[in-house]
Order: sequence, then structure tokens, then C-alpha cells
Amino acid sequence: MPIKRILIVDDEESIQTVVQFGIQMVVDWQVLVASSGMQGIKTACDQKPDAILLDVMMPDMDGIATFKALQSDPQTAQIPVIFLTAKAQTSERRQFNDLRVSGVITKPFNSLDLPDLITKMLDW
Amino acid sequence: MPKNKRSKSNKKKQKNAVKPLFSFKNHEQAELFRQRQWVKLFAEVTFKIRQHLKFKEILNATVTEVQRILQADRVLIYQIFPDGTGRAISESVLPNYPKILDLEFPEEVFPTEYQQLYAIGRVRAIADVSARQEGLSECLIEFVHQFNIKAKMIVPILQNLNSHQQNEISSPNQLWGLLIAHHCDRPYKWLDFELELMQQLADQIGIALSQAQFLEHLEEIVEVRTAELQEVNHNLQQEINDRKQAETALRQSEEQLRLITNALPVLISYVDENQYYRFNNKAYEDWLGKSLSEICGSDIKSVWGNDCYSRMQSHVKLALLGQTITYENEILLKHGLPCSVNVTYIPDVDEHKNVKGFFSLTTDISDRKAIERMKDEFISVVSHELRTPLTSMHSALKILATGKLGSLSKDGQQILEIADDNTERLVRLVNNVLDLQRIESGEVKMEKQICNISTLMIQATETMQPMAQHHGVVLVVEPIDMNILVDSDYIVQALTNLISNAIKFSAVNGKVWLTAENRPNVEVLLSVCDEGQGIPSDKLESIFERFQQVDSSDSRRKGGTGLGLTICRNIVEQHEGKIWAESTLGKGSTFSFTLPLLNV
Repeated sequence: MPIKRILIVDDEESIQTVVQFGIQMVVDWQVLVASSGMQGIKTACDQKPDAILLDVMMPDMDGIATFKALQSDPQTAQIPVIFLTAKAQTSERRQFNDLRVSGVITKPFNSLDLPDLITKMLDW
Repeated sequence: MPKNKRSKSNKKKQKNAVKPLFSFKNHEQAELFRQRQWVKLFAEVTFKIRQHLKFKEILNATVTEVQRILQADRVLIYQIFPDGTGRAISESVLPNYPKILDLEFPEEVFPTEYQQLYAIGRVRAIADVSARQEGLSECLIEFVHQFNIKAKMIVPILQNLNSHQQNEISSPNQLWGLLIAHHCDRPYKWLDFELELMQQLADQIGIALSQAQFLEHLEEIVEVRTAELQEVNHNLQQEINDRKQAETALRQSEEQLRLITNALPVLISYVDENQYYRFNNKAYEDWLGKSLSEICGSDIKSVWGNDCYSRMQSHVKLALLGQTITYENEILLKHGLPCSVNVTYIPDVDEHKNVKGFFSLTTDISDRKAIERMKDEFISVVSHELRTPLTSMHSALKILATGKLGSLSKDGQQILEIADDNTERLVRLVNNVLDLQRIESGEVKMEKQICNISTLMIQATETMQPMAQHHGVVLVVEPIDMNILVDSDYIVQALTNLISNAIKFSAVNGKVWLTAENRPNVEVLLSVCDEGQGIPSDKLESIFERFQQVDSSDSRRKGGTGLGLTICRNIVEQHEGKIWAESTLGKGSTFSFTLPLLNV
């Protein structure tokens, strides 16, 4: 299995860090980080990661707007996106499903569990 | 007028004999004059009988006229009373003779045997009371002399001599009294004509008497009827007064009620079975900006509009089926201002258990709702905001615990474990707080689907199996195959909460059972049973309140959040079920809840 490249987009630096540490401790994946939606879109275009972990609640450009922007760009439209959210309501999950996101991971999560969750969600 | 010296006892003979006897011109004229007088007198008396019907007047007129025509010194009417005594009740007497009027006479003056003779029609014309051939007793002669009586004529006044008979009186010829004429200056030979006149007038008096009695009787009847009518009238008046009083009292009480209801800042109304308003307090006017006359008598749909009515309709129907209903609604006040209200419908049920309508009470709960929203929002925001740092802490500690970043001393690992355990506990707490807030605020709706109870039971058991193993507790599940309509996620959550509690409070090698039972009253009973320390009976209810635990140290020792049972209760209540706990101290506890079977 080729080395997977995961982009984590979250304005919280500590989340970026624990996600990076957690994933890399469990699997041999490359973790890219971005601190905002804009930055995330740019990195996605440049690096073409295998999957994007996108925080829903971010200032300026939130996760949904970022996701829509990614979808509208043919360069990034095919990249699977998994939302990271502190809200886990059914209505929100439905909203995410309508957006055709690949999955939703609810905070708080254990970053060591992420590779397993992602693999299952994306059928890797 | 000269006194006539002729007398005959037989009336018919006298009538036949009158004409040949008075052949002389002056006699003839005098006779004709008397005849005319007689006819006139008779006509007058008859006229008075017909006209006045006043008996006393007739009697007075009779004695006056008879006295005048007969040139008698005294004419009187003597009434005989039932005890045999009598009294002159009407009299016309010349001024130089003593009056008999109103004198009472004892029975001896007119004994019963005489009365009986007069009753069968006896008349007496006595020319000279002192004359022996007249046969008057000495005492009577003496008696009549008191009144200067020289000659007297007596005819009976009989009742019922003609058709004016009264049903009540059985005897056709009852002696009522006597018509008596006196000459006081000298004896006088009464004429047949005079006797006949007296008899005729006595008859007329009899008729007048009958008529008077008939009238009196009529008057009596009228009086009785009048009294009856007056009584009825009085009763009616009393009833009218009573009703007026009752109406006044009712009006006063209505006014008082209106005063009270108008003073209250809530909507109070009465809605009839056809959903028309029959009473509205003034708050309706103030809140809706419509006049009461516009609202009262209108149907609730037209008052509230289709949109609002669609949220009221089902509750209105239940109220009209006899159920007391309380619900919350969002309404629009005048100028389109939104308002949260609490509405209670209380059905108006008559003695035959028919629902006539319902009473409606609507209170403004906007302030409470605003505070509730703030609380929910606050909890939600805080919980969400807590999640992000928790994720970092949780992940960081887990990463540290792997030892891949460098190994810790034994003490260091113990401290790390404490941090890790408590972070997990904090995660659960945040999750529970958020769960509870969502369920309580109604933010989440139970998405009910038909599922098999056994599936849910097995799912919950499988979820809790690792924890059971960790605690060395044996988890026993006895599923039953039955379909229920529930939100499976939440029911599994309730079951895992209960199982988790049971495991926590079980000793090593203890058993925890999850059982189900189909109850006859169309519900299913799910129970989680343990062999733990048990719960004191005074805590069996309070443990379902948030942050209420049997022993506050339990919370720390067992890592609970104090919200699990409250969440369970909320989930069960959202499914119209009931939850409770039973326990024997030292033996164990059973937590049970019911769910309605396929209750849509």
C-alpha cells in the first residue's frame, strides 16, 4: 500500500499536532497541516493529498465553505473529505451527508484511533 | 187613596171577580189606577231586580213602594234565621209609629210550626188583631200592640219558587222571611188585590233573593278564583323576583369573574364543541389587537390563522375527546410579535360524560423560553468549546501513554493514568451534559423505527461486554423476539447506561442480567438486574435526578457523571415509557423501564 498523504485543516494548532503525532505513531502516513480554510484549499491544490480532515468550526472560512470550494475545483473535487466536528447532532450529520462528505469524526477523539477510522470510512 | 173593603182569599177568583164588581165609573177608574199602579210598582220592582241585583236596595224599594201603594202605616221585611230567631231588615214606616227595623225577635215570636205553614204558602190577612175570630193569642196581641199594630198582612218570602235554583239547596220551598204590612191607626180589611200584590212582590223578592244568592255564590266563586289567581300571581311574582335576584346574583358573579379574568395577564377562554369561542377575557383583545366581539363567537381557526391552528388542532381534538392537555406553542401577537406560550385545555364534561367544550388557559412563557434558550445555548457552546481542548488533551495523553515518546517512571505512568482516566471521564461528562441538554430541550427528536427488541438487547450487551470483562462481571442477556417502535440508538444508549451502572456496582464474578418481558397491557418491560450493594429505598427515586448519586464518593470511585440515569429517564419518557428502580440492600438492584408496543 503506497504511503497515504493526509491533510489536516484546523485552526487549533494543538489539534494539528496531536493528529499529526497520533497518525504517525500508528501508521506510516504523511500528515500535512493547514490552519485555515484558504490555506487548506491551497495545500490541497498543491499537494493533492489522499484525504482531507476538515474542521467544521473555523473562523473566517468555515469547514462547509471550504468543502464547497474544494468540491467546485476539479483539481480537488475528487479528494475525499472527512469532517471533524464538536457537534454531533443528527441534523448536522444529515447536512454533511447531503454535502457528500466521506465521513464525520466527532470531537473529542483519540488521534491514535484516526488511521483505523479513516481506513474504514474510505475503504482503504 | 181610599181603603178598599173587599177581600178574597183565592187569587184566581179575585182576578176573575174584579171587573164585574167595579162597574161604577169612579170605582172603575180607581181600580184601573190601582191596576196601573200595581203594574208600575211591579215593573219597577222587577226593573230593580234586573238592573241592580243589589238585594238590600230591592228590599228597601219594595217596602217603600208597598207602603206607598197600600197606604199602609208600616211595611217591613222580616228575615228568619236558621235558629228560628228573626229580624226586621227593611222597613218603611210612617213617622208617628215606632220603628221595628233592626229589632231582633226571639224564636217564640215566630215558632217553627208557623214557619212550616208559611213554607208551604200560607198567607195571613188579619183585619183586626184584637178580634177574637182571628185567633191570635193574648200574648201575641199584647206583643203587636207594642208597635201599634191594628191590622196586619203577612206573606212568605220563599226561596227557589222559580227557575233560579241553586244546586246546593235541596229544598225547593224554603222559608226565607216574611213581607209584612201593618195598619196602625185602625183595623183594616185587606183587599184581595193587596194580598195578591204582596204575594207577587214576595215572589219577586224570592227571585231577587235567589239571584242575589246566585250572585253572591258567583262572587264567592269569583272571590275564590280571584284569590287563587292572586295566589298564582303572587307565586309568579315571587318566582320572577327570585329569578331576578338569581339573575342579579349571577350577573354580579359574572361581572366579578369577568373582572378577575380581565385583570389576569393570561388568555382565558371557553371553546364549545364546534371549536367556537364562547368566552374570552380582555387579554385576548390586548394580545391579539382584535375586539372581543370579533373574537367571541368566532371559530379558533379564524382567530389564530391556519398556520397557528395547525399546531393547535391535534390538542384541540384531544381536549374535545375529554383529555386535559398542556402544550407549548408559538403564537403571533398584534403587529406580528412572536410569543411563546404554554397552553392548557381542560375539557368541560357534563353529567352524562359528554364533552361540551373546553376551558383554555394560555400563559406567556417567552421569558422562560428565552432563558431556556440561553441555558441550552450556553451548555451547547460550552460543551462544544470543551471538546476541542479535550481532544488535544485526550490524544496527547494517549500518545504519551504509548511510551513511544520516551518511557516514564512507574510513578509517572500512574500520574499519566490518572490524567487519562479523568480526561475520559470529562469527555463522558461533556457528552452526557450535551446529550441531556439536547433531549430535554427537544432539540433532538426520537426517530422511531420498527426494530426487534432482541437486536437492541444484543447490541447493548456487545457494547458493554469489554467493560464487563474488565470488571470481571458476567453479563447475561435473555432476549425476546418482539418488534417495537423506538429510536434504536437512544434505547441502546439507555440500556448501555443501565448496564454500565450495574457493572460498576457489581463485585468481581457478580452477574448482571438484561431481560425483557411482554406485559399484558401492551407494553414491553426491559430490566437490568445486578447483585451489587443495592440502593436505600429513600434514594430509589432521587437517583434519577441529575447529579444525584447514592454516595457522592461513588462518583469519584466509579467514574460516573451523575447524568446517566437522568438521560435514561429522558429517553424512556420520550418514548412514553416509565422507568424505575427496585432494590434490596446487600442483594442487588433492578432497573426497569417500559416501552409501548408499536405505539405510533
